[in-house]
Amino acid sequence: MLNPVVTQISVKAATFLLAAEEAPGAEEGGGGITSSPIWPSSSEMFWGILSFTALYLLVRFVLLPPVQRIRNDRAATIQADKDAASLARSKVASASAEVEDQLAGVRGEAQVVIDEARAEAEAERQRLVGRAEREVNAMRELAATEVSTERAEALASLRPQVADLAVGAASRVTGRSMQSSSVRSKVDEYLANPSNSN
Amino acid sequence: MLGLEYPPIENLVEWPNYFGDGQIWALNKIGIISLLALIIPTVMFLVSKKELVPGGLQNIVEGVVEFIEDQVIMPAMGAQGLKYLPLLLTMFLFIFFGNLFEVIPTFQMPANARMANPLFLAVLSLVVYVSIGFKAHGFAFLKDTAWPGFVPVGLRPLVGLIELLTVFILRPFALAVRLFANMLAGHILLVTFGVLCISVFTAGIIVILLPLTFGMLVLLTAFEIFVSFLQAFVFALLTAVFIDSSLNPAH
Repeated sequence: MLNPVVTQISVKAATFLLAAEEAPGAEEGGGGITSSPIWPSSSEMFWGILSFTALYLLVRFVLLPPVQRIRNDRAATIQADKDAASLARSKVASASAEVEDQLAGVRGEAQVVIDEARAEAEAERQRLVGRAEREVNAMRELAATEVSTERAEALASLRPQVADLAVGAASRVTGRSMQSSSVRSKVDEYLANPSNSN
Repeated sequence: MLGLEYPPIENLVEWPNYFGDGQIWALNKIGIISLLALIIPTVMFLVSKKELVPGGLQNIVEGVVEFIEDQVIMPAMGAQGLKYLPLLLTMFLFIFFGNLFEVIPTFQMPANARMANPLFLAVLSLVVYVSIGFKAHGFAFLKDTAWPGFVPVGLRPLVGLIELLTVFILRPFALAVRLFANMLAGHILLVTFGVLCISVFTAGIIVILLPLTFGMLVLLTAFEIFVSFLQAFVFALLTAVFIDSSLNPAH
């Protein structure tokens, strides 16, 4: 049902597009109603040239320079920030390497100190152990001496009693008194050196 | 039929003068749009802040400049083309804002759906790239175009003729017609679907088709915004390519 309508529009549009020829003097007012839609209107071209030329001059000398300037400033700022960041990064890397070197040096020094301390400690230990051993030996010798002395004293203190017992026992066995000093001296001599008897 | 009253076709693109009838400075809707295509980008650039951390309008302004640099100049010409940024940026802005009025209510007419601006811009492009060619290579630019050394001698007259036609006529003609025809076709398409919507709305039972026609109108409006941008981009890009071909003819 719409086909005739569409056809009518199409025909009119085609006629319009193909109407390239302009009748002489058909343009009214140098830019008003013209008979051909294709033929350029001089007044429209006048305003187009005027507007374009003005826009070009404005763009070239007034409008574009500030935009370019701010873009260049931004690019320079970004580049400067990137350079600063790069510099800071390299400084951080350098400082990090320096810290690592220092740490390595400190670790070496610490190791030396540890080794020295360990050696000193070992020497001190050896010294203390030696002294302790010496003291122990001295104490042991002292104790042995004391034991020997005590033993000798004990033996010395026991000897008269043993002599008395031996003399008493011999007197009982023999049935006669052996309390003479000669017997007593022989008993003392025996007790003093039992291995030399007989 | 269906109450469809398609407007006289001339009324879609030709507008009465507001003043200056008979004078070259006669001002009509197209002239107004051309002036607005000057004023709007100027105001945008002037109003946008210039701060190191961009925001809002400054983002858009710098985005447009970067777009022309990165998507038009660098692919077509490399860094040597950056000195043509003001020209190519102006072309892009002027064409884009001239086109954009196709979808702005009360205007609804792209300035480049009239032949004046596309023709002027195409001729300007021609003058620019030919001038640059002569400036870079002197008379050799014309000689190399008319008598190309990269083809066998027997073919040089024919190829030279084709090259001359291409450089001096076909390129600017194609630039102008591409922009003009695309915008005019888009404008007629929008008018057609607008008229269809009105007609279907007043045609009884056929009103059930209104969502379809109106949906198409909305879609085409969005599409025409894209076309406005695309045509501005293509025009600037081709101008950059032509300038580069003048600077480096061997390419």
